[in-house]
Amino acid sequence: MNLSRRKLLKMGLLAVCGTVIPLSALEIFKPEAAASLIHPYSEKKRWAFVVDTTKCVGCGMCVKACKLENEVPFDTDVQRTWVERYVQLKNGEVIIDSPHGARYGFTKNDPQGHDVDEAEVAKGLFVPKLCNHCEKPSCVQVCPVGATYKTDDGVVLVDRKWCIGCGYCITNCPYFARFFHPITNTADKCTFCYHRITKGLNTACSDACAFGVRKIGLINDPSSEVFKIINTERVMVLKPEYGNEPHVFYIGLDDIVR
Amino acid sequence: MSHAWRPVFVVLAVVVTMLVVRVIFVPSDFAAKNGDYKYQWHRLASEQFWKDFSVKHKGREFCQQCHSELVDKIKDSGHQNVQCENCHAMSDPAKKSHPINLKEDFGYLLDIGVDRSRELCKRCHAELSYRPPTYTTTKGTVKFKMIDPTKHNPGVECVMCHDVHTAGFKTTGK
Repeated sequence: MNLSRRKLLKMGLLAVCGTVIPLSALEIFKPEAAASLIHPYSEKKRWAFVVDTTKCVGCGMCVKACKLENEVPFDTDVQRTWVERYVQLKNGEVIIDSPHGARYGFTKNDPQGHDVDEAEVAKGLFVPKLCNHCEKPSCVQVCPVGATYKTDDGVVLVDRKWCIGCGYCITNCPYFARFFHPITNTADKCTFCYHRITKGLNTACSDACAFGVRKIGLINDPSSEVFKIINTERVMVLKPEYGNEPHVFYIGLDDIVR
Repeated sequence: MSHAWRPVFVVLAVVVTMLVVRVIFVPSDFAAKNGDYKYQWHRLASEQFWKDFSVKHKGREFCQQCHSELVDKIKDSGHQNVQCENCHAMSDPAKKSHPINLKEDFGYLLDIGVDRSRELCKRCHAELSYRPPTYTTTKGTVKFKMIDPTKHNPGVECVMCHDVHTAGFKTTGK
């Protein structure tokens, strides 16, 4: 082999340079990354939800509207959305409750059914909860029959005809958003009111909220309020450590919220 | 033919039967959208099922068809963000009291009635120290009115003095 010293050094240097380029530097050659140079944000149609806990008074009208709209039996303690109350006492104790999913609202300072003196309360807040419609829904992964799935616009739904009621998805949701529907005998969950949002309406819960707590919108649509809030305000998601990429964003959460 | 072939035929028969059963029972529209077997493996017709679910809350525009004077009144009041259905949709069908059959005549599916109980008003107006103290309407930010239900005229219906549709007091001498 005829290799001059000059050629050896040249090729050696090239090899060293080549190996130090990290794989992530080649990201720009991915089609999605190249597209992001033209469109700074994704144009994918994706539903998302914003909950402003600083405005929530805990009236529970959202829970009532959801149950009536989605035919979830009103008097049973299962719900697609519910409101939790977090009360921290001055001695540091945190009391969490959601009587009947708050479908009758919170009318008394009685967390967990025990009357608490207003003077003892350090702080409190109401946190409405619903399905987070995760980008990587762990409930969908575990379905053995393909009865639950994510639609193209990011909504996680249950196929009532195909569900066998095994309950794997119910135990696998880190947000406890799923339950067993007592009439259809299948798993059930919030659908983001898919029948309403696909017709241009708001969800039943956000329409029922008199305080502007709940907002539904497309996360990549600059004209939607959800886009504006997520891009300009400080928002948080619940349990980000699970890696599900939840798409319900909260304003004004506190470290006592679980 | 060797006797060893027999179990092979049995296995083949079982496999073929299972495939035939599968073709009959699995709907033809069962597919993995976008090739995503992890999250989008489903019966495609199920999406249409959820799109076709009935819309029940129709909002003020629906009620306005007959009750325009009440809707105009509430739109101009402190209760402007409160929907008719928040208070008038009855969770118990027995409490339905609307004189016209909305289901037959308008295809409206909720049970409409009047709930005059204190419990309904207390959902927002019972005093809790951690309820947000202010409330924003088109008229600006106002103090959110809360009362202690044990001290504020207990045992009396709120609507005896208060007009819900104007969010004020009832006018007398009318």
